[in-house]
Amino acid sequence: MKKKTSTSILGMAFFGPALVLLTVFLFLPMLLTLVFSFTDYFALNPDLTHFTGLGNYIKIFKDELFLKAFINTVKFVLIIVPLQGLGALGLALLINKVTYCKKYFKVAFFIPVVMSLAVVSTLWMQIYSPEGILNTMLGQIGISPQPFIYGANQALPSIAIMSAWQGMGYQMIIFLGGLQAINPGLYEAAEMDHASGWKKFKDITLPELKPLCVFVFITITIGAFRMIVQPMVMTGGGPSHSTYTIVYDIYETGTVNWEIGLASTMAIVFVIFVVILTIIQTFLTRDKEEKNVNKKAKRR
Amino acid sequence: MKRTVLIAIALAVIAALSGCGQKTVQPGVIAGFDQGEEYLKIWVHSIEDTPEGQAYREAVDNFNDKYNGRYFADIEFIPRNDSGGGYSDKVNASVMSGDLPDVITVDGPNISAYAANGIIQPLSELTEEEKGVYLDSIIEQGTVGGELYALGAMESSVGLYYNKDILAEAGIDVPGAGNPWTLSEFKEILEKLKPVMKKKGGYPLDMTFPTGEASIYYYAPFIWSNGGDLVSEDGLKVDGIFNSEKNTETMLYFKSLADNEYMSRTPIEKLFESGRAAFKFDGAWEVNNVYESYPDIKLGVAPYVVSDDWDGGRYTPTGSWAYAATSKTENIEGATELVKWMSGTDSGLLIYEKTKNLPSTYACYERISDFKEDENYKALYEQLRDYGHPRPKTPVYPQVSTSFQQTLENIAISGMDAKSEMDKSVERINAKLERYNRE
Repeated sequence: MKKKTSTSILGMAFFGPALVLLTVFLFLPMLLTLVFSFTDYFALNPDLTHFTGLGNYIKIFKDELFLKAFINTVKFVLIIVPLQGLGALGLALLINKVTYCKKYFKVAFFIPVVMSLAVVSTLWMQIYSPEGILNTMLGQIGISPQPFIYGANQALPSIAIMSAWQGMGYQMIIFLGGLQAINPGLYEAAEMDHASGWKKFKDITLPELKPLCVFVFITITIGAFRMIVQPMVMTGGGPSHSTYTIVYDIYETGTVNWEIGLASTMAIVFVIFVVILTIIQTFLTRDKEEKNVNKKAKRR
Repeated sequence: MKRTVLIAIALAVIAALSGCGQKTVQPGVIAGFDQGEEYLKIWVHSIEDTPEGQAYREAVDNFNDKYNGRYFADIEFIPRNDSGGGYSDKVNASVMSGDLPDVITVDGPNISAYAANGIIQPLSELTEEEKGVYLDSIIEQGTVGGELYALGAMESSVGLYYNKDILAEAGIDVPGAGNPWTLSEFKEILEKLKPVMKKKGGYPLDMTFPTGEASIYYYAPFIWSNGGDLVSEDGLKVDGIFNSEKNTETMLYFKSLADNEYMSRTPIEKLFESGRAAFKFDGAWEVNNVYESYPDIKLGVAPYVVSDDWDGGRYTPTGSWAYAATSKTENIEGATELVKWMSGTDSGLLIYEKTKNLPSTYACYERISDFKEDENYKALYEQLRDYGHPRPKTPVYPQVSTSFQQTLENIAISGMDAKSEMDKSVERINAKLERYNRE
């Protein structure tokens, strides 16, 4: 009994500091955000704060700009998730096949991940600029200069392509690990049956990578929802709010316009949305795994 | 028992982390702070290791020498990032925790908001003579509701720069100060320059409407010289002012600049500096930039253009960081002395020497040879002195600034409907004004 107590004190001593730090810097702010979301808390004049009930929630759903930011964010996610996911898979498959300079390619594709997003954004501003590399190259093949990040229709896709390029390396490494873990015996067996390359990919590689695909899909989605650095550096949310995202709106409202209450409400709505989405994703994937288990059980 | 221990530890750590309790600094703790001196704390929005930071440090040291035995000022440097955060976040957080120092720096357009929310208090009475030291634009910027809250550490200005060679080639004469081109005249000139610039692969105007502070800073003068404004006198009303017919007219003028291809719709870097634009609107820093990095460009400063109906009033860009006494200080006399010193001539000279930022007092301009000998610096100074107009004074300035840029971009570049865009902006600004209008 005594030993048990001393062990638990020891345990507490280990997690205590972490718990305190987490409480002060994470749980408490989260709780405060929830509380503030029901008030008109104003950073410059905290004394005048009143409770406004659901007022903020009603306000932001009537706010054209917030809805626009919301739609932009969803659009961004819809572009980047397939682009980055499939891109990473493609790269991983290619690198897996390459026999020379494998390390070189791995490093080369991983470098953008290590670079700061702000740096990458600045770099791509040069690439996308009206007289930049990309427009010069397009000019060579007779295509007139494109506005890219300076055009309301092209800005968001341009940023998505850049972001996919930047983040792809990370998921590529994950896929690469997955590919190397596949039992080579499976491929050998398939070759005995004269399976084509596509068949091998469809029936062996993809099913084996499925759990990884789910993980990659969820991480890209959540990361994409949090986008702010790229538009902040490259476009300032413009042109005509075409690259204005939810997190950007939260920042502008809370930091620039000092409306902490309203910004907190936006943050809460944002969190609820992402949580719902994640639950849906988890639910869908669990379903599939269970199905697989059931299938296997039947076979037995 | 266990729980009590845990809670006690948690509280102790929280207290340690939050630096519990107000510290009062005792004489002798800091070098130079002696018995009998009154302690004044000042925050500046800079890093100590920069030329600007060094200028502030030196100015504070000079203050401590001058007022030795009476006051001791202690400077703290709080970095500010490019998007304006950092420093202002610290000020905001301190408003809540009550840890504001005696004197802070405030960006000019934020003075109204800080005053309206009781973060800063009026300085103690300055004599007419003391006030007369400063440029009119500095006093104007620092005055809210008839009371003086802040004095500028520096001033700023925007020039309509032109390339002398290009204008000579096109046979265009530049008018003297006090006789600026009107918008119609300016358009004719741009039309004349268009074929010339096309040959050079450029545009008559190097002009963009970037996000951030630049757009309202550079282009609000077009509104003012047209007899329009962005907010009411008290800063609490925008409907019928921001979206007035006159302002719509001005916005459509910008649209015509893009539609007629006098400017590029997408920003091209270094268009003016590479000799492919005849004109450019830019801050005073551009003079030094061209002198140092583009010596081939023969730079001139033309008077800022005005509307056809200009009445001769003030309209050109001004404004910069200023010093103000916080509502927290119990020593408003001392804080005012410090504000006066930091914004005064000696400090202004230091700042100009290290950073080339325009100073805020007349005496500085008389003492610095650049403003007498260099025609471009001289033109910028005279424009500032005679025509300087502060940015809108309203507690919701950040929203006005953002809205102005968005309206301008949406109308001029994206070609959206002017009237409805301006009405939308008014709605957005009104939402922010609500808090001030209900009390």
